[in-house]
Amino acid sequence: MPLGFELVELTADERALQQEVREFLARELPRGSFEPGLGMDNPSDRGFSKRLAQRGWVGMAIPKRYGGHERGAVYRFIVVEELLRWGAPIHHHWTADRQSAQVILKFGTEEQKQRFIPAICAGELGFSIGLSEPDAGSDLAAIKTRAVKVDGGWQVNGTKVWTTGAHETDWFIMLCRTSDAEDRHDGLSQLLVDLHSPGVQINAIPFLDGGHHFNEVVLTDVFVPDDLLVGEEGRGWLQTGSELSFERGGPDRLLSPWLLVEEFLREHEGTPLGERATATLGWAVARFWGIRQLSIAVNRMIDQGRAPAAESALVKDMATRFEQDVIEAVRQLVEVSPSLESGSLFERLLARSVLAGPSYTIRGGTTEVLVGVVSKGLR
Amino acid sequence: MTTTTADELLVDTARKVFIETCTFEVVEAAERDGWAAGVWEAVAGVGLPWVGVPEAVGGVGGTLADALAVLRLAGQHSAPIPLAETGLLAGWLLASAGLPVGQGPATVVPGSARDSLSLGGGRLTGTAFGVPWASAVERIVLLVEDGGRWKVGSIAAVDAEVERSLNLAGEPRDTITLDGVPVELAPTDVDAAAFERRGALTRVVLMAGALDAMSRLTLDYTAGREQFGRPVARFQLVQEHLVHCAQDAALVGIAADAASRAAVLGDASFEIAAAKALASRAATTATRAAHQAHGAMGMTREYALHHLSRRLWAWRSEFGDEHRWNNEVGTAAIAAGADELYPLVANGSDRRTRT
Ligand SMILES: Cc1cc2nc3c(=O)[nH]c(=O)nc-3n(C[C@H](O)[C@H](O)[C@H](O)COP(=O)(O)OP(=O)(O)OC[C@H]3O[C@@H](n4cnc5c(N)ncnc54)[C@H](O)[C@@H]3O)c2cc1C
Repeated sequence: MPLGFELVELTADERALQQEVREFLARELPRGSFEPGLGMDNPSDRGFSKRLAQRGWVGMAIPKRYGGHERGAVYRFIVVEELLRWGAPIHHHWTADRQSAQVILKFGTEEQKQRFIPAICAGELGFSIGLSEPDAGSDLAAIKTRAVKVDGGWQVNGTKVWTTGAHETDWFIMLCRTSDAEDRHDGLSQLLVDLHSPGVQINAIPFLDGGHHFNEVVLTDVFVPDDLLVGEEGRGWLQTGSELSFERGGPDRLLSPWLLVEEFLREHEGTPLGERATATLGWAVARFWGIRQLSIAVNRMIDQGRAPAAESALVKDMATRFEQDVIEAVRQLVEVSPSLESGSLFERLLARSVLAGPSYTIRGGTTEVLVGVVSKGLR
Repeated sequence: MTTTTADELLVDTARKVFIETCTFEVVEAAERDGWAAGVWEAVAGVGLPWVGVPEAVGGVGGTLADALAVLRLAGQHSAPIPLAETGLLAGWLLASAGLPVGQGPATVVPGSARDSLSLGGGRLTGTAFGVPWASAVERIVLLVEDGGRWKVGSIAAVDAEVERSLNLAGEPRDTITLDGVPVELAPTDVDAAAFERRGALTRVVLMAGALDAMSRLTLDYTAGREQFGRPVARFQLVQEHLVHCAQDAALVGIAADAASRAAVLGDASFEIAAAKALASRAATTATRAAHQAHGAMGMTREYALHHLSRRLWAWRSEFGDEHRWNNEVGTAAIAAGADELYPLVANGSDRRTRT
């Protein structure tokens, strides 16, 4: 069965919100006053995250009783697409807001909800994702990090890798093995781990552009109290699966190279562009427009209480391949050798996106793995 | 209030009619014979060609949303009749000029650079190319410039000399030659750009239907076809074709929805341009994937894939190909400028009027 995506029509309130976010950004974060980033790779700025939270723009899809705003996924989409395309520094709260709070909300204990979610909604607590390991990438069930039951909690040993932002965030939700089972998808559990706990060692893994984005997180005899087990012991695999629909279907998988296109236009304003550049620009804009409609439709499904695993994988795959195509198409419109040190913002963005581009179709599930997920949904 | 959703009862009726009449054999025979009288009679019998055309000029009423929903089903079922032409194009032009739509199938002159029609003393002379189903319709409608303003012209098809010609899907795209043919003329507020957009919208909607059907057909076929002891749909590389085809179908489906909705509400210039650019591109990539996943079976006349793929190859070029519409979108993007570029993507044609 082909999957059903329904067109989302923005209400008058949602349009007003869009306008409000645009005005906020133009006022609080004017262009030229900061170095804009490429979508969710934008820098981390705790102060900015807090200011957004004060506007009610963190925790939008979280119930009010936990400090959220009960506005749903589409409302969140509208706000975050503006932040992403502006290149705003949203990294600090990004993962916590997108998925960690949702996981705690869905599977956590009442005490965990009270403890973590309001702080996430306040833009204070930042989270990372503790899934990948040296021997477990696409094949996540192969993870070896192990939590052994001890008095009052768990003792954890293992190594997580590629952990984005762990050097800046506060916690991660970590998938680990809590028991051996015949089916290796059983016996996995999710634990909330304070990244400042004794025994947690965070080592930078340098990114290919020389920057510091991801890390190796080595856990040596880390004690995690009982009350930080998320959901049911042994059910971590299923819980992680549900987490991934939040991770995959959003505008962050589409808008990484947005500013590249916008800055191309800005730097050429007033000069005639010629037919090839016009057509390339048109191609990109048409596709941003179309894929955006699919992405917002996925978020409507989430609001309807569905878990659109196949739909979000379908969109993520298409969107991230397009992101890479955009970078290459724009690169060929200009006769420059992109440099990270260039005096032109457009050229810096081009350099950064050429270097980061390959990761778009790897992080959050590789193209190849997504094809499998979508195929299952199409059966 | 403007209705942006189609009438469900009508859509159900249309679906039943297309399922019953547009069988594989009938679609094949239509291509051989140049006309599918049975399909036309069933479809016309319930008024479908004139949905969305006001009753005042001889239509059956209903909304543009209704008409586009019916057309999408026609695309899904490869309905071999001038459905887009009769109501959404000819009927629309005629209604815009207050001219009667008349009975029977009608078509429009799409307008090509090679056309040489000229108007003089209320008569038309010259040649026009690629006129859909000219050989089978009763009325041919066109948009002409007359004394510095746009007018709709309507001629009886019997007055035209028709030379038959076919598009890649075997649909009639005839050459008509007129030699002082009397034409009924009335002024309209439709101009050439609006007409081309309307034509592009019909092709987007037809292609959305065809892509959806092609995606389903390919899923079914690969689930049943076994090689190396298992369904070919189990092979990862085949799955990639299935996913790409489903992605194209989903993308064009939602683009058609958005363009249709914008057209119902008013200015849809951006949405239609973007949707046609996407649809024409998807026609290329999705047919490639679907054919590859089918193996040789997709290459025979005896299996239905070609009803869809050949239509997609034909429709992707009609009323402007992807390059033409990419340019249109690019021009709109440049006109919007860097600051307004994202609002254009997020809000489309009406970003100024309704924010
Ligand atoms: C920038 C960046 C940030 C990241 N951030 C985080 C993070 O914060 N937290 C975290 O946990 N992880 C993170 N990751 C890791 C990411 O989740 C993994 O890279 C991803 O799951 C793939 O695993 P791998 O890199 O080990 O590749 P592998 O699984 O080793 O894959 C190598 C190749 O083999 C292919 N392959 C593997 N299995 C199959 C199969 N069954 N069928 C077909 N092909 C297959 C893959 O598609 C790929 O092409 C990040 C990655 C990047 C690039």
